[in-house]
Amino acid sequence: MNSAGSADVHSSGPQASEHPPYGTLARILLIEDDQEIADEVANDLIDRAYDVTRAATGTRGAEEARRGVYDLLIVDLLLPECDGLSIIQALRRDGIRTPVLVVSALGAVNDRVKGLKMGGDDYVTKPFALPELAARVEALLRRPLETRATVLRVGPLELDLIERVARRGDALIALSKSEFKLLEYFMRRPDRVVTRDMLLEDVWHYRFTPQTNLVDVHIGRLRRKVDSNGAAALLLSIRGVGFILRDPC
Amino acid sequence: MLSGVVLFGAFYWQTKAFETRRIAAFVASEAAAVAEGSPNEIIWTVRTQFAQENYNKYHNIIFSGLFAADGSLIAGTLDHAPAGLPADGRARRVGLTERGHYGPHPAIAVARRLPNGDLLVLGRGVGVLTTLEGIVAGALLVGAIPAIGSALAAGIWLSRQAQRRIKAINQSIERIMQGDVHERLPVQGTADDFDQLANSVNRMLAEIERLLTEVQGVSDNIAHDLRTPLARVRTLLERGRDKARTAADLAAIHDRAIAGLDQAQAIITALLRIGEIESGQRRAAFCAVDLNEIATAAADLYAPIAEEKEIAFVLRTEAASPVYGDRDLLIEAVANLLDNAIKFAPPGGVVRLVVSDAAGGPVLRVSDSGPGIPAGERVAVMQRFYRIDKSRHVQGNGLGLSIVLAIVKLHDFDVALSDSCPGNAQPGCTFEVRCYAPARCAAPPAPGRTGGRLKQWWLRPTRHRNGNAGVTPEVRRWLQASVVGTEMN
Repeated sequence: MNSAGSADVHSSGPQASEHPPYGTLARILLIEDDQEIADEVANDLIDRAYDVTRAATGTRGAEEARRGVYDLLIVDLLLPECDGLSIIQALRRDGIRTPVLVVSALGAVNDRVKGLKMGGDDYVTKPFALPELAARVEALLRRPLETRATVLRVGPLELDLIERVARRGDALIALSKSEFKLLEYFMRRPDRVVTRDMLLEDVWHYRFTPQTNLVDVHIGRLRRKVDSNGAAALLLSIRGVGFILRDPC
Repeated sequence: MLSGVVLFGAFYWQTKAFETRRIAAFVASEAAAVAEGSPNEIIWTVRTQFAQENYNKYHNIIFSGLFAADGSLIAGTLDHAPAGLPADGRARRVGLTERGHYGPHPAIAVARRLPNGDLLVLGRGVGVLTTLEGIVAGALLVGAIPAIGSALAAGIWLSRQAQRRIKAINQSIERIMQGDVHERLPVQGTADDFDQLANSVNRMLAEIERLLTEVQGVSDNIAHDLRTPLARVRTLLERGRDKARTAADLAAIHDRAIAGLDQAQAIITALLRIGEIESGQRRAAFCAVDLNEIATAAADLYAPIAEEKEIAFVLRTEAASPVYGDRDLLIEAVANLLDNAIKFAPPGGVVRLVVSDAAGGPVLRVSDSGPGIPAGERVAVMQRFYRIDKSRHVQGNGLGLSIVLAIVKLHDFDVALSDSCPGNAQPGCTFEVRCYAPARCAAPPAPGRTGGRLKQWWLRPTRHRNGNAGVTPEVRRWLQASVVGTEMN
């Protein structure tokens, strides 16, 4: 039931979770015609303990997806025989609601693809880094906490959504508006890797890569407030990937 | 040729109608005048006046007859009273037969019943109309046919000329298509239609040639920009293979190599992004957007960056009217300008983001207190893919301004570049984006978001114990200046 896995989340209330409980292998269907990219992606996901099935053509992929045994589809938009968007549309028409991560070449991101994100699905543009893809796969498989609780907790950290205040233990943490938004995003995804692009898109609604290390500066400021005075670090950087909020205990 | 015939036909038809009306009026009035007289006078008039040869010739009255009530002829030349000619004094076309002649002759005639019961018939032959036909046919032969013939000849000559010009133009186009971009369409100097068209096309060709040259320069620049990080990565990997002794060494080299590849990838991403913006597809999603909100959103992201670099950041949002555009792209443009400003402002300096209303529409200014851009370089800065100073080592791919330009161009806005503080050793640099109010609005902005609101916040450098100690005197003066318009060009 607890989709947040092993993270120490003391939030109460129902949680939206249609995905397999923590511990079973999530099944992923990878529809990608480029053999080299498919190899890399599949190997990376297998290393991360996912069960990966591959399809090299659109028709083959659509057939496979229709079996309905998958937890996630990774679909390239440009496929031989039929394109990725038609596959997704056909699946949705037939009532198959498996979440989809769309992979597209840059410049081909049109409004229809963007519309996917509204439905809870996601997209990455080629070329992408493997950790970025993995983080998004995880984000799609384990949806954020849609909790009705008004107080989010991760370890000693507490975020009151009504009072708009954060506490670590008994100490009050003064946060600016955007810092609060940022911390809330992490607190809803405890123990999960969050990439810079995900933060830009979801916290600031930016869909472009800024030239400076913007996100790192914002995280640095937040970290100085959350992990101050030599307390155990909660907000960690993961080299070359992004950040994670984790209960150290 | 057809038009010539139609012209003559119309001329003939008009003349004939006029002549017919003239004869009818004459006959009717003559009959009326004769009928005024006493019976004897009428008989005398018909016998003498209309029968005389010269009178006939002069008045062109050919037919006359005075009939008794029983139809017998009293006087005149007619054999009998014509049937189908009512005695109402109105002229009609009938056939009349003269005594001792074969008839009937076509004529315009009038009949009047006299007070004593006699019937007066006066008529005039319409032979004159036949003569008219002959005249028109003659004129057609003598006048129209040579005219039509010469027009045909001129037409053939002109079309031959046109064909020759078109052939020459086609040959030029063929050469241009084969890659000769210097070729131009031939111009005869006669300022005719062909010359005007050729001149326009030649201007277009000159612009295309200019753009081609520009693209050539651009691709050279890009190739150079890409080669630098790639060459560095290659050297790193090569040295790493030979020199690395421990796994940690190798990992460090890997990280640096990945950073180098990321830089190359960022350049490619930015180029594709510019291409995507310039394709103009985003225009379809334009709507009324609030510049204040856009500036605030961009400031939200960049204010901490400025603070981190100990740069004072000032935001003023005073635009009342919305602009027509794409919110995401405009935020991207402002973000790139802020990025640029923060990059070049020195620690202790200042970056301002001001949105205000001007005569033409809202204006957005981003100014920094950095070294500024020399006047000689400003035109070049505004060109696609120009990098201000290639030797200066700053973070980023150097394509931020190109993205700004592409976005500004997509919106049909203007962008200008000036000194923030003219005359200073550090004149700084101000980018001014002049926007235009929306011509049509898909959705009016939320009322709460617009309307002369003034919001300002200062982010002072925090690491200095003496308040403004990090701010240089000239920057402090600049910060204190109250009117935005006077301190900037």
